Amino acid sequence: MTTKKQPLETGTTMTWCPGCFNYQILAGVKNYFEKELSNGKKKEDFAICAGIGCQGKMFDYINLNGLNTLHGREIPTSLGMKMGNPNLDVYCFIGDGGCYNEGVSHLIHAARENVDMTCVVHNNQVFALTVGQPTGVTEQGFTDKTTPEGVSVKPFNPLKLVMSSNATFVARVFADMKQIEWVLSEAKKHNGFKFIEVIQPCIIFHPDKGYKEQLKEIPKTHDVTNFDKAMKLASEWDYNGVKKGDKIYTGIFYKEKRSTIIGKHWQLKELVKKKKCWGDRE
Amino acid sequence: MKYNILFGGKAGQGSNTLTHILAETLAEQGYYVFYYRDYMSLIRGGHSFNILTFSDKPVHSHESKYEIIVALDENTINLHKKDLKKKGVLIQGKYPNMYFAGRMYKSLGLSFKLLDKKLKGLARYKENLIEAKKGYSEEKNNFNIKKVPKLIRKFSSGSVAVADGAIKSGINNYFAYPMTPATAVLVELAQKQKQNGHLVLELENEIAVANAGAGCAITGAKTMVGTSGGGFCLMTEALSMCGIAKIPLVFYLAQRAGPASGVATYTAQADLHLARHSGHGEFSRVVLAPGDPVEAEELTSQVFYLTQKYGIPGILISDKHLAESYFTTEKNPVITKVGHLTKFGRYNSYEQDSKTGSGTEDAVIVKKNVEERKKIGERLRKECEKFDGFKIYGKKNSKNCVIFWGSTKGAVLDVISGLDICAIQILYVEPFPLRVQKILEGKEKIVAVENNSTGQLCDLIREKTGILIKDKILRYDARPFLCDELEKELRGKF
Repeated sequence: MTTKKQPLETGTTMTWCPGCFNYQILAGVKNYFEKELSNGKKKEDFAICAGIGCQGKMFDYINLNGLNTLHGREIPTSLGMKMGNPNLDVYCFIGDGGCYNEGVSHLIHAARENVDMTCVVHNNQVFALTVGQPTGVTEQGFTDKTTPEGVSVKPFNPLKLVMSSNATFVARVFADMKQIEWVLSEAKKHNGFKFIEVIQPCIIFHPDKGYKEQLKEIPKTHDVTNFDKAMKLASEWDYNGVKKGDKIYTGIFYKEKRSTIIGKHWQLKELVKKKKCWGDRE
Repeated sequence: MKYNILFGGKAGQGSNTLTHILAETLAEQGYYVFYYRDYMSLIRGGHSFNILTFSDKPVHSHESKYEIIVALDENTINLHKKDLKKKGVLIQGKYPNMYFAGRMYKSLGLSFKLLDKKLKGLARYKENLIEAKKGYSEEKNNFNIKKVPKLIRKFSSGSVAVADGAIKSGINNYFAYPMTPATAVLVELAQKQKQNGHLVLELENEIAVANAGAGCAITGAKTMVGTSGGGFCLMTEALSMCGIAKIPLVFYLAQRAGPASGVATYTAQADLHLARHSGHGEFSRVVLAPGDPVEAEELTSQVFYLTQKYGIPGILISDKHLAESYFTTEKNPVITKVGHLTKFGRYNSYEQDSKTGSGTEDAVIVKKNVEERKKIGERLRKECEKFDGFKIYGKKNSKNCVIFWGSTKGAVLDVISGLDICAIQILYVEPFPLRVQKILEGKEKIVAVENNSTGQLCDLIREKTGILIKDKILRYDARPFLCDELEKELRGKF
């Protein structure tokens, strides 16, 4: 049997731990891109950005143009790529350390500005590549070598933060290939800042604490345009460990049609309309 | 013929607007004009003033004594009357700024039509016109200003010149976060978007600005970011990334007096080392330091050219004195053009395996990459020899030498005419113009003039040439050099 050449492979050796949930995310993302390519999209139509941390290796394993940027700066880097060529479909892969700690201000403003990009947050509730320190969304009581007394404060709720920051597409899924593929294809239909949080155990430093038992699909009856209801669904889990009775909803919480950053700037609209980049104008 | 006029008042009274329109008119009439702007970090009240100098001969700086003081408030008289020259004239009263405009135009022999033209460009035309007419008719002084041939010279600040240079270089995106004294370029570029079609974005902080700049630049768009020292410190990790990832991002660094928040609206040249050494790791960069608006426009185009051609970050280093002072220009800038040379691809803040674009820890590849970056630096140095890395003014063969960089150029040029001094300006901080070594070695005495407390240019010259400069005239009270004061100091040295 001959193997078909995978256009998205880089040939770079994978260095995630055996059994890491990032393999699930990568597979889902690649399936999505491959489908897009087979539907006529070109590799040049996409840009990817990843940062530092285990999720950052997404860049090494997907052969698309972009920048493996600095820790926490995935969002402004992605914004920059979009401003540099608004015809690019930009995907940003970022961890909870980068998104909720180092670069949290960028998340708030990108949501508020409705920057046209898909932001995938690999949330394993821990700094994994630096061997297991707590992030802003790690549960109380978590201990490691740097926090021997344990985390004393509650995590914040990222979904509620982005919704309060006027995000126009807010979703959460579990690190499962099928769910990733599904949520990306849903995000594709939306224009603006697409926030997708992926709940992901870290098998070494933050193993599954019972997420799977508490995962619950958002009911089909949920009105995704109802902000208050979306906030309520997001409040059903406080990220502070997993307790019986917690409802970790997955699916699309909120969607809103609003002018994007491209729509606010005639220079960008013109480039999109003419399918040109800045250099073509000379 | 040379006049120094001080216009002072509270912030909000409009002494800056008054200065600006008169300065523009004088420039349009063919005079050489320079004005300095001094203001506090507040919005209303306090004390702010401008010093306008004009002459029939080139001027590039202001002086500490005035022929005329125009006082819009009592405080201006209290603070500055001591610096009025012996036969100087004090013009005062409780009137709006355009009343004084009327008086000044009349006393300087400028027609009311010229003033009216300027008023039309301002808000509140009707009210201003009434005041201006009143002032014009009430003025009794006549300074009998010598008429000069009407030569059209551009009247520009360092900030206007940087913006114009960027536009002529084909800038596509400018990202910034407001910070004095870099904000004036942000304003200029924002105002000119409609006409030129580039995009200006203000982002949440300087870290976002620099990283968005990097992301933007790799797609092929010509990109610049701008800030002052504090904001630049926040940008330096991204600068380092531009170094390793070969990203042609232009940084505009407008110095103000530091450290930290320092003296927010005042000047300094204390970030030369910061510009040279910012960003961790070793990588090539250009650091260019213009001394006047013509050079600001030229060097802006050169930094775009060099960064595009070599895939490196570039820093254009200015300061408050250059950025916010206005000058008549004596020649047209020579713009160095460059196309969009950057191709989108796979860029990496890690050491990169060029075959895959992925990060690598492989010792052989790492070593190769480091050596490649060094080679870029060598090619860059060679190419830069074709630009004016340094300039010589005054008596070229004099054994007495004054060396300087950036905005001190104005005062130095105005002082050395007539003196037995050869003045050398360093414009290329990085790569440093090594040819200057021979010239310096031929001098008996070298005096450095710098707006800092340690002599950072002297450190640079020592590092690059081995030449030790001990004689320094340093000013570090957050104020620029004044022509008459510097002259006294220089005469003491030679």
